[in-house]
Amino acid sequence: GDGGAGPAVPAAPGRAQVFSTVVDTFLEKLVTAGSYQRFASCYRCFYKLQPQLTRSIYDQFISQLQSSIKEEIQEVKNEGNLEGLFNSLDKIVEEAKDREEPAWRPSGTPEEDVRSALVPYLLKHRSYLLKVLRDKEEENRKVAKSVLAGRDKIAELQQLIQARKQAWQ
Amino acid sequence: MSVDPMAYEAQFFGFTPQTCMLRIYIAFQDYLFEMMLVVEGVILKKLDAIPGCQISPSQIRKCTEKFLLFMKDHFDKLFGRMEEVLLQLVLNIPRNVLLPEDKVHEQYPYSKEEFQALQEELQQLQQQCRAEAAAGEALRAELEEQKAVMAELEKILQWFDGLENICREHGTGNFKESFAFLTQNSKKLQDALKDVEEKSKELERLEQLL
Repeated sequence: GDGGAGPAVPAAPGRAQVFSTVVDTFLEKLVTAGSYQRFASCYRCFYKLQPQLTRSIYDQFISQLQSSIKEEIQEVKNEGNLEGLFNSLDKIVEEAKDREEPAWRPSGTPEEDVRSALVPYLLKHRSYLLKVLRDKEEENRKVAKSVLAGRDKIAELQQLIQARKQAWQ
Repeated sequence: MSVDPMAYEAQFFGFTPQTCMLRIYIAFQDYLFEMMLVVEGVILKKLDAIPGCQISPSQIRKCTEKFLLFMKDHFDKLFGRMEEVLLQLVLNIPRNVLLPEDKVHEQYPYSKEEFQALQEELQQLQQQCRAEAAAGEALRAELEEQKAVMAELEKILQWFDGLENICREHGTGNFKESFAFLTQNSKKLQDALKDVEEKSKELERLEQLL
């Protein structure tokens, strides 16, 4: 029927996988090019003399070359933690897959770029200051009320005293 | 054609992809040359062991060079292809991808003016806070003064009330009234005295005139 999910699309190989495959392919093709036929033909004089030795020398040469190359690749991967980085990058790229616009890139001028890095701190500071200001304003409102009440009370007391004074005149 | 410095990739990987590829290229090439020298060495040794051999070392050297040239040629081509793929697919960050560590730059794309405005706003807020704090202090200072004044006024009132209580206790009737009467009388007396003084001054004047 329709509406059902199509056949599952196999996930694209990750960077680590592609890396291994590409290196293996390179080696394969190199070994194919440097075939025994080619080797023997270059060292024809020796080949004619010692065909079996030629074969065994060639086999050793190819196997040494391959293991040296593979070792070097492994060293590069270990040193740079490439396996981990490739997997991280795959994840990051996957998360950005719905986004089409080019992303931000460093401008090359550190002063420009550091602005955005500072903004979150400034914004935090601003909200802190706003809160402090509101709290202080609220507090002062209350104290101002007390002060006004106090003034009224003093006026009242002064009036009472006046009244007493009058009474004693 | 401008070369892409791949700086963003370098930020992520900790090395420039091109540098990495160059390092690998040089290493591979070195192994190739090394292996070839070993091969040549082995062949020469084996030839030494063969009595009456016609093949000269320089011949072998020519064979080695031939094979090496061939290998190097293929090696360069194959490596070039490999490098291209790696730089495009593996050691690269697509244009639409933003590294998580750079999120702030997308969240807060503040221009120079906007940033300055924000800084100015902060300065203003700080000033306002200081002003409020000063106002608060002034208010509290007045509150303290008011307390002192009220205490004094209350004392005066209490003194008046004390007077009234004394009068009531001693039953001097309406002491207040009599006191008030006295005050009024003394006032009348004073007025009368003033009258007399004025009159006597007039009399003196009249006498002088006469």
